[in-house]
Amino acid sequence: MTAKLELKRLAKAFPRGSEPPLEVVRDFTLEIRNLEFLSVIGPSGCGKSTLLRLIDGLILADSGRILMDGRDVTGVVGGEGRGMVFQSFDLFPWRTTRGNVEFGLEVAGAGKAERRERAEHYIRLVGLEGFEDAYPHELSGGMQQRVGFARALAIRPEILLMDEPFGALDVQTRDILQDELLNIWSTEQKTVLFVTHSIEEAIYLADRIVVISPRPARVERIIEVPFDRPRHERIKSLPEFLQLRQEIWSLLKEGVKI
Amino acid sequence: MTPTRKLMLQLSGIAIVLLMWEIAGRIMGENLLAAPSIVAVTYVELLLDGEMLIELLNSLRQMILGFGAACLVGMPLGALMGRSRLIDALVHPWISMIVVTSVAALVPIFMMLFGTGFEFRVAIVFVATIGYVVLTAYHGARGIDPKILDVARSFGTGRIDTYRKVILPALFPYLITGARLGLVHAIRAMVVAEMFVIVGYGGLIFQTGLDLSTAPILGYLVTIMVVSIGANVALQRVGDRVAPWYAARMAR
Repeated sequence: MTAKLELKRLAKAFPRGSEPPLEVVRDFTLEIRNLEFLSVIGPSGCGKSTLLRLIDGLILADSGRILMDGRDVTGVVGGEGRGMVFQSFDLFPWRTTRGNVEFGLEVAGAGKAERRERAEHYIRLVGLEGFEDAYPHELSGGMQQRVGFARALAIRPEILLMDEPFGALDVQTRDILQDELLNIWSTEQKTVLFVTHSIEEAIYLADRIVVISPRPARVERIIEVPFDRPRHERIKSLPEFLQLRQEIWSLLKEGVKI
Repeated sequence: MTPTRKLMLQLSGIAIVLLMWEIAGRIMGENLLAAPSIVAVTYVELLLDGEMLIELLNSLRQMILGFGAACLVGMPLGALMGRSRLIDALVHPWISMIVVTSVAALVPIFMMLFGTGFEFRVAIVFVATIGYVVLTAYHGARGIDPKILDVARSFGTGRIDTYRKVILPALFPYLITGARLGLVHAIRAMVVAEMFVIVGYGGLIFQTGLDLSTAPILGYLVTIMVVSIGANVALQRVGDRVAPWYAARMAR
């Protein structure tokens, strides 16, 4: 398998007035394989969201390079084959479901007919037919995040960056959306970089898990997830699952200083 | 509190004051303070006479020009101030000065600059309004959720599209609020300016102040209040219609 995305010695520190700058990411190197589902897990505040924002170009790295299919996308803001799903959904409240999904196509200059058609496809894919003309405030949290998925997918990104997309949802909705995400991933052929702080979620979804050390974020360990696909809810109670979960937990615990 | 109960209380509040006013009016007499009952009768006469409404419409036309110009200049200016520190630093002191300045104090200078005609009234209304429009747009623009701007950037949205498709719609509720606030001040400024040069509706109020009875002048005040409140409610309705997402959020 070839590398879809290469992170080479990324570093980021935030200035803090008179105090020394806060190092959030240091010497971060990672290869993300084409079409794999990669979970990034670490304690909260470890810099994993910052990592995602660096990849999407929302913040600039102090040093290091980001290569996508070998081409340099370091410092390129948004777009360029990257689609991002945000933790707090962050839909545009003044746009309907359709309007939100069409946004990325609109600013990319796609024609009206094409926008419409593609939006309809992805709205159907995330199961929101009938809610095309609803505003975000008329939708539940789970439905809002479905719009968030469709909005990111509509620009046909090669890599989907997901920043704790289920973090703001209740457990049941979370479980349902996890399965739907896996379905979408299997039909849409995407490379997924999925940031989470839930160990169970990371194992259930991913091919590989990157465990991150807390600030400054560095790769602590990369774990291959041994379960076959399609996956079902029941693997969560398998002994291997629980063992893997325990293993990751002890890795995380070492790093956590309360 | 249920809406009906609230309405009943509001009406009762008005009724109590009207009653006290009626008693005071009967004691003090019509040339000091006309009682509501007398004002009501006079008011019907004023309506039928037509002069009040004609003067009002003339004045409102000029007011709308000044108000519209203030919105056209003030809304983009406020938005830019909220998004650019450079522009904010350059312009903010002037806006602060304009907002605290009394319109009446500006009248003598404006009379020298613009005469006493059409330009004078438009200019006074413009200056009285623009500060409020700018400041509400400014605070709206500063308060835009940075996360929503991140979404725009994440999709590689260009500068112009970010303004048109993200900042402007996010600002919309503030623009409506600014317009409502500005409109109240525009109408006030219109009356004040006209009272100085004795033209239009303000002039009518000024001249009537010299009459023996206070009933007509109170009638004129009622009309201008109705216009001001009515315009305000209308603007709010327009805002709710055009921005249903905002109305729903506020209703929560």
